[in-house]
Amino acid sequence: MKKQVLLTLLLLVTLFHAVLAQTRAVSGRVTDQKTGEGLPGVTVLLKGTTNGTSSNADGSFTLTVPQVGGALVFSSVGMNTVEHALGSETQFNVGLTQNSRELSEVVVTALGIEKDKRTLGYATQEIQGAAVANKSEPNVVNALQGKVSGVNITGSSGLAGSSTNINIRGITSLTGNNQPLFVVDGIPISNDTDRTNGGAAGTLYGAQTANRAADIDPENIANISILKGPAAAALYGSRASSGAILITTKSGANVNRKLEVVVNTGFNFQTVLGLPAFQNDYGQGSGGTNTTSAGAGNIFTGSTTSWGPRFGTTPTYANGLLLANGSLLPYQAYPNNIRDFYKTGTLWTNGLQLAGNTGTSNFSLNVNSTTQKGITESSTLQRTNIQLGGGTTLQNKIRLTGSVNFSQTDQLAPQTGNGGSAFGTLAAVPRSFDLQGQPYQTVTGANLYFPGLDNPNYNLLNSNTASSVTRFINVASIGYDFFPWLSVVYRAGLDTYTDRRKQIAAISSARNPTGLIFQDEIQYAEFTGDLLITAKKENIFVDKLNATLLVGQQTNQRKRNEQYVSAATLSQPGFYNTINAAVFTGSGETNYTRRLLGYYADLSLAYNNYLFLEGTARVDQSSTLPTSNRTFLYPSVSAGFVFTDAFNIDSDFFSYGKIRGNVAMVGRDADAYVLDSYYITGGQGNNVANVTFPFNNVVGFRPSTMIGGVNSLNVLKPEFTKSAEVGLNLGFFNNRLTLDATYFKTVSSNQIIPVTIAPTTGYSSFYTNAGELDNKGIEILATASPVRSASGFTWDITANYTRIRNLVVSIYPGVTSSTIPGSSFIGSVPSYVVGQPYGVILGQKKATAPDGQYLINPRTGLWVTELSSQVTANPNVDWQGGITNTLGYKGLTFSFLFDAIVGGDILSFTQAAYKSAGVLQQTGADRDQPRVIPGVIAVANADGSTSYRQNNIQVDAQSYWSNQGLQSDLNVYDGTHFTLREVSLGYSLPKDLLTRTPFGSASISVSGRNLFYYAPNANFFPEVNTQGAGNIRGLDLQGAPSVRSYGAYLRFTF
Amino acid sequence: MNVSIPLPRLRYAALALAGWAAASCSPNKFLDVNVSPNNPTVVQPTVQLPTITVGTAFVVGNMLGRDADLFIQHYAGLANQPFTEDKYAISGNYDNEWRGDLYGNNLNGAQTLIASTQGTNPAYSGIAKLLKAYNFALATDMWGDVPYSQALQGLGNIHPAFDRQQDIYEGATGIQSLFDLVREGLSDLDKATALPAGSVSPVPSAADDFVYKGVLSKWKKMGNMLLLKFANTISSKDPALATRVINEVLAKGAAGSAAINANADDFAVPFGAALGNTNPFYSYNVTNRPNDQMASTRFLDSLAANKDPRLPKYFTTTPDNPTPTEKTTYGNFTGFENGSSATAPVRANRSLYTTYVLGVAGEAPVRLLTNFQRAFILAESALRLNTAGDANALYQEGIRRSMEETGLSTTEIDAYFAANPNIVTLQGTNIRKLNQIITQKWIAWVGNGYEAWNDYRRTGFPRLQPALNVSFTPNIPQRLLYPPSEVAANGDNIPKVVISDKVWWAN
Repeated sequence: MKKQVLLTLLLLVTLFHAVLAQTRAVSGRVTDQKTGEGLPGVTVLLKGTTNGTSSNADGSFTLTVPQVGGALVFSSVGMNTVEHALGSETQFNVGLTQNSRELSEVVVTALGIEKDKRTLGYATQEIQGAAVANKSEPNVVNALQGKVSGVNITGSSGLAGSSTNINIRGITSLTGNNQPLFVVDGIPISNDTDRTNGGAAGTLYGAQTANRAADIDPENIANISILKGPAAAALYGSRASSGAILITTKSGANVNRKLEVVVNTGFNFQTVLGLPAFQNDYGQGSGGTNTTSAGAGNIFTGSTTSWGPRFGTTPTYANGLLLANGSLLPYQAYPNNIRDFYKTGTLWTNGLQLAGNTGTSNFSLNVNSTTQKGITESSTLQRTNIQLGGGTTLQNKIRLTGSVNFSQTDQLAPQTGNGGSAFGTLAAVPRSFDLQGQPYQTVTGANLYFPGLDNPNYNLLNSNTASSVTRFINVASIGYDFFPWLSVVYRAGLDTYTDRRKQIAAISSARNPTGLIFQDEIQYAEFTGDLLITAKKENIFVDKLNATLLVGQQTNQRKRNEQYVSAATLSQPGFYNTINAAVFTGSGETNYTRRLLGYYADLSLAYNNYLFLEGTARVDQSSTLPTSNRTFLYPSVSAGFVFTDAFNIDSDFFSYGKIRGNVAMVGRDADAYVLDSYYITGGQGNNVANVTFPFNNVVGFRPSTMIGGVNSLNVLKPEFTKSAEVGLNLGFFNNRLTLDATYFKTVSSNQIIPVTIAPTTGYSSFYTNAGELDNKGIEILATASPVRSASGFTWDITANYTRIRNLVVSIYPGVTSSTIPGSSFIGSVPSYVVGQPYGVILGQKKATAPDGQYLINPRTGLWVTELSSQVTANPNVDWQGGITNTLGYKGLTFSFLFDAIVGGDILSFTQAAYKSAGVLQQTGADRDQPRVIPGVIAVANADGSTSYRQNNIQVDAQSYWSNQGLQSDLNVYDGTHFTLREVSLGYSLPKDLLTRTPFGSASISVSGRNLFYYAPNANFFPEVNTQGAGNIRGLDLQGAPSVRSYGAYLRFTF
Repeated sequence: MNVSIPLPRLRYAALALAGWAAASCSPNKFLDVNVSPNNPTVVQPTVQLPTITVGTAFVVGNMLGRDADLFIQHYAGLANQPFTEDKYAISGNYDNEWRGDLYGNNLNGAQTLIASTQGTNPAYSGIAKLLKAYNFALATDMWGDVPYSQALQGLGNIHPAFDRQQDIYEGATGIQSLFDLVREGLSDLDKATALPAGSVSPVPSAADDFVYKGVLSKWKKMGNMLLLKFANTISSKDPALATRVINEVLAKGAAGSAAINANADDFAVPFGAALGNTNPFYSYNVTNRPNDQMASTRFLDSLAANKDPRLPKYFTTTPDNPTPTEKTTYGNFTGFENGSSATAPVRANRSLYTTYVLGVAGEAPVRLLTNFQRAFILAESALRLNTAGDANALYQEGIRRSMEETGLSTTEIDAYFAANPNIVTLQGTNIRKLNQIITQKWIAWVGNGYEAWNDYRRTGFPRLQPALNVSFTPNIPQRLLYPPSEVAANGDNIPKVVISDKVWWAN
């Protein structure tokens, strides 16, 4: 807290200082010399300073300059740079000419260093803030979906605030964190998901909590730079081996007036997306009849499945006639009983942004609020962001920048998962049950449903998790140019948050019949300090050879503390305070502190602005490795060659060509506290039966099943990922068509993993360096501007394509498969298996004869029992791509993004349960017809051989559908889907309409997300991932479905 | 306000600051923060004994016992796993039991406790050896050949060989027999008893020894009971060894008095009423999965045919069910046919386990070794191995001790004995008598399917028909399949077996 106060003071001081400076304002307009049209986005810089601005939509600009002297430099992508000395005039009109060969773009690279994209030997991609703001999507990670090559993004569900998984260039670590490093204004921040997994009866049942990057408001983002490979991220060290996402927040640096005020507001609706179709011909029952207690009992004494009588048949007690609360119920279909469980959600965003720039100082203050009511009860998100950022150059040339990002994120999330959540029990809603019309609780507030099951509506309202996250991300930097060629910057950042969580379950809930309060508080703090010394020299050794050397030191500390208490056996219904609990089934804390010292150097050489060479080296010292192995070095080398410039290829058709390549290595340290072997608190069992310690008030410990990394077989060393990348940038037709293609390969070996060993050793795994995981892939990014008409009509296309192949090459001698850490359903185990891509699910497969036909049980006519531990699903996609079209005419902009995700299996418990319960549409078709499962029956011959005869045994529909198995390969779906991901239509009011108003500009836009999808091989929208962000993918353990959103935004500037 | 520092001074100040920072920074001290505040690396025996004891009872009462209960038709499955497991559709998913409970918790817990107390605190090392022997016997009885002599060595042997069940029980070169392991434990307990008070610390007490409250003489009874049980288990295959061991125990006290010879001395692990401390039957069948199981019609039939007074002590009555399975003088009971796919009656109309198994709120013990078991074992060995004792008297003692355990009064038991002489008296051929002994033992073992399944596989009694609708194997399983975790990490060593292969000691 002290730090925030200091920072705020610092900013106030510098702003005050700025006001007193002796300056004057100049303004003007930049035009295209050829067409005479205003040129937006031209950088206008006071020569020799960082004081600058950029031209606005009509090409006009305003800049504060010293009273006397100086010159202005006008530069823009694709245009020749123009310099204009400052006289006494206050108004400039400057015309720029097109430079056909330049393709120049400043991008943010590692450690926040801005570089010209043409100098880079590796792939990066820039996303402007506007591309993620106002997109009916409060989580910035989701808003990137379909826009970045090499990146896979999958939301866990459509519930408000649920986490999103993101992987860049595949998965490189077998058990480590594969989420990219998130960096805000130069300092690493946490994107942890902090799953609380259900408390005492923990697995497969829990709320979808947020990935912490969701605390960032997309409205506060100036731009995002995605560093895809280890070469790009080498300077961030171990944590960026999965790539890095660099977010620059708004700072007022490119505001060209003294003060700009922006007000924006948006309102969206969200509806459930991708439910399967249901049958409406048969209702509650089993075997065609519905037997309830004593023949005429309460509805809840009958079956939970929909294998009952056909609607319209004579109602009798044996034939579907039911009672609820003593009165007769009509026996009919309620076609929307599941669909209406979901309601229309709303998302309301409001923002106020102030930005100012005096020339030497700039600031911005952003206040945003996001209020989301999800598609079910108990699914809400309320986020408030206050961001204050700015920078100034003092008269003694010391540069100061700082930002304070405060966020308060409150999430209320229902439980999801197979273990008795509302989404799990939806399959147990018979088609004839009026879920919305029937009461869900008794007069005393107890659960009212089939025995042992929560009524979905009761569960939603009474079993949920509240999370309240208070977070500060603070950055301050001080820089000084000791000599014109030597600058020193120190930047310090602190990311700290507290997440107060409370998971509750009502007395009488099926999962926790005595009620439960699981309360935990997570405190996270990460400090990063970077000392950056940069030396620049032009024309070094030979003419036109420019060199930049950067040396730096980093200090990083991460501290996490979680305290928890699990309180059960509540007495007062509806009162969720731990003083209401009689039994405490677990309490304690887990902590970690880890520290890292890094020393790094980066030498960049540029020859004649067409040949570029960059080398980096970094030495890390990590607290988590054994003392003898904790210092490790890793280098990278990259090169870029703009051959069109080198060979003077000067053509309007072939305007730009660059080839680039790099090799890099990134070291990675271990998690904290994996070197020793420990005793852990006692406790056994799972969600169906368990025992916990303290046991009758006695403490118990047991040996952990994990052997630490310093053991008789090895002493843990750092792990390394090596990568190589080649790429090509091409520009045609004066760069109206560009292509950026990359091929890469990464090899991650000697990974720090807990290797699975035989349980009969007494242990399940031991930490060692082992295994190899390879990735290779192709990324293509193409842009085109087919139309740029004089009348103002524009058409731009951006397309990306990614294809990654991943292979587990080895694990450990004698070990061919290992489990990915995390909770999963026994029998459907996300694993890494030698010879397979990462993350395949080892599940149950229906047995087949040698010719591949199903083996049929001659007694039953059904499949013989499944084989377990078979590879049933591969969650890795074959390829993916997105294409954005943007059409503009005067103030109108229309853009739409289509994306394709091809391949990627998903094991769906949701569909399995719907099938088995006779709820799915297919289960209603030909229900009265017997069927013969295609397959063969094994026949034992007299000579001991086996022959096979065709199956001819008839089975009824119910047997057929309900014997497919919960986790068998029959419930694995190919997740291929094509989605109209984003559509937006915007209109900016013409300036002349606004002259009599206080508005500088006004715009309105309507937008939609996930408006349409086509999934040829799945009867649901296959973007569900109940394990949330993490290494386990492709599992739908009865989670919540996705959403479709649409809404409108208004934006005014003053 | 103007922040301005003359340039030269600033440069020197910055350089001095950098120098100071470099000098004052000691990377090693800064980085030495990797000692876990979360978990200890060393613990006292007093916190280890509870987890091993409770873990042993948990594994018998949870899925292993629940499935064995289905196989020997004490209970029937209505839904979820018990529904399919009642049809023997078991594809080997016992990872939780094998990896988590047996080898991970109970056995490795015992092994590490032995390692830390061996030679310094023989009371704990002795108890740990007895618990280790019990758990290894459970593992080999369930799966046949299992890693034993090379197990529990951590990284010392990451591919433990599977010892033959015969070698585990009988011993072989480099393989200590389970009998010798028990004898070693008993010898440790003898050493502990001989030590002067206060010579070791800590000693087992009521706080950490939930069963025998630190009374080592009772642990010795438990150890001798293990010798009887193991001898009984292998008696068909190695009658000579079985006879020798039983005589060894009888030599320590007539009628097995060196073993458990009072119901109060049963090795029965008590549970608690609080959530998380309840016994596994309660945790599963009451708290978490109240609709998965109910009484087996077949077991109810047997009890009703015998007019057995334990019927209402084991099962709840179903007075409101118009079509109960059994109408007896003890009330009406409703069961479910093992393997049936029929719709089950509503919960109120199901006969379920009573407080004998569940406790009022889950606190009932899991009975692992019992007084009635001693009597039945000695009855059987008197009959088949000609060891000392009157088979009929021991048989009747077994029935009485079991009935007493269920809460029946002496008067009630006497009345039952008087009214049913044909049931409570061994009659006919030795095979028929054996059938009577094992059938009564089967009735007594409610709540411990493991022991009843052992007896069934060993003797073929009671004669049980396979469940209905069996899809995987037509007959009652003879063993469990090795779990995927062991297959994945130790596959080359795993014997190729199917669920219908008999284990070595089975007949």
